[in-house]
Amino acid sequence: MKIMLCPLNGPRNISEFVCRGDVVDRPDPTACSDEAWADYVFMQDNVAGIVREWWYHVATAYWFIAERNTVTDEIVRTYPASEIFHPPVDHGTDSGGRS
Amino acid sequence: MADTESSPTPESFLKRSPLYRALRSRGARFMETEGGAVADSFGNGDESENLAVREMAICDLSPLPRHGFKGKGALEWLRKQGVAIGNEDNRAYTQPGGSLVARLAPTEALILGNLSSENALSAQLEGDWSIDTAPDCYAVPRNSANFWFLITGLHAPNMFAKLCGIDLRLHKFPVNAIAQTSVARSVAIIIRADLGAVPAFHLLGDSASALYMLDCLEDAMGEFGGKPVGISAVRRAMKS
Repeated sequence: MKIMLCPLNGPRNISEFVCRGDVVDRPDPTACSDEAWADYVFMQDNVAGIVREWWYHVATAYWFIAERNTVTDEIVRTYPASEIFHPPVDHGTDSGGRS
Repeated sequence: MADTESSPTPESFLKRSPLYRALRSRGARFMETEGGAVADSFGNGDESENLAVREMAICDLSPLPRHGFKGKGALEWLRKQGVAIGNEDNRAYTQPGGSLVARLAPTEALILGNLSSENALSAQLEGDWSIDTAPDCYAVPRNSANFWFLITGLHAPNMFAKLCGIDLRLHKFPVNAIAQTSVARSVAIIIRADLGAVPAFHLLGDSASALYMLDCLEDAMGEFGGKPVGISAVRRAMKS
C-alpha cells in the first residue's frame, strides 16, 4: 500500500485520499471570457514532471496541497493550503455563485 | 444488572441506538441513561462481562450525548465557555467533569459525555451555542449522525490491526491520541481513552453503517473471544 503524508493526520494509506486536480489561479468570474472560465473549470495541463495538486483526506474532509511527480508518481511534498494562500481561498461574493 | 422484567424496552424512548434490535437479538437488557435506552448487560453475569472488558469487548454507547463544533472560531468559542483544549490536533483533552473533548483539527472539536455518570457538558454547550453569539463557530450534531462504540481489552490493538491501517499498539498510540481514518473501509474516528488499566478505544462513524461495523468488529474480535458487553461492565472497569 502506498503511503501519503497528510499535513493534518500524518502518514496514511493512499486509499484514504482523493486527488482533486491541479492548483491553478482562478480567473475573475465576473470579468473573464467564457473560454477562460471553461479552461479553468475543465482543462488540465497534463504536465510530465512535478505538479502542484489539491488533495483531499476523506476521513477528515481535509483539503491540502501535494507536489507530485507525474512521471514517477512520487509524492515530493505535502502541506496545508494556508502555506500558499494568504488569506485562505476567497470564493468571492460575486453574484456568479461559483465557489 | 437489570433483570428482564424491569428492563425498559428501547421502543419506549425516542432516543435509541441504531443497533437496538441487533443488540436485543444478542441478549441485551437495557437501562435508561440520559433519556435513552442503553444496553446494560447481556445476561451472562457480571464476572463474564468484567473479564470480556479486560480481554476483548465492544460496548454500544450510541444513545449517550455527544456534540461537535466546527469553524474558524470554534475552539475560541469553546475556550470562552471554559472548555480546556490544548494546541495539538488529533488529541483528546479530559475535562474536570470527566467529559472528553477531542480536537479533530484547528477548526473542529468533538465533545463526548462522561461514561461514569450523567454529564451535562455536551448538552450544555449545545444549548449555549447560538449562531449569533458564536462567531465562525457552527454546530455539528453527532447524536443521530454517528454511532459510538467503546472497544476495550488487551486484544483491541490486535483486533484493530485486521480492520485499520493505523498502528494502534499501546506503545505507539498513547492515551488520548486520535486517528481519523478508515476502519473496515468506512470512515471512522478512533480515540484512545483507557478505563483505568484496561486499554479502550472510542470508535465513531456514520450511523447508517452501524450494523455493518458491528458485524465487522464482532467477526474481527471472534478469534480473541470478544463479545458485546453492557455499559455497567464498562462503568465497573472505570472504578476498578
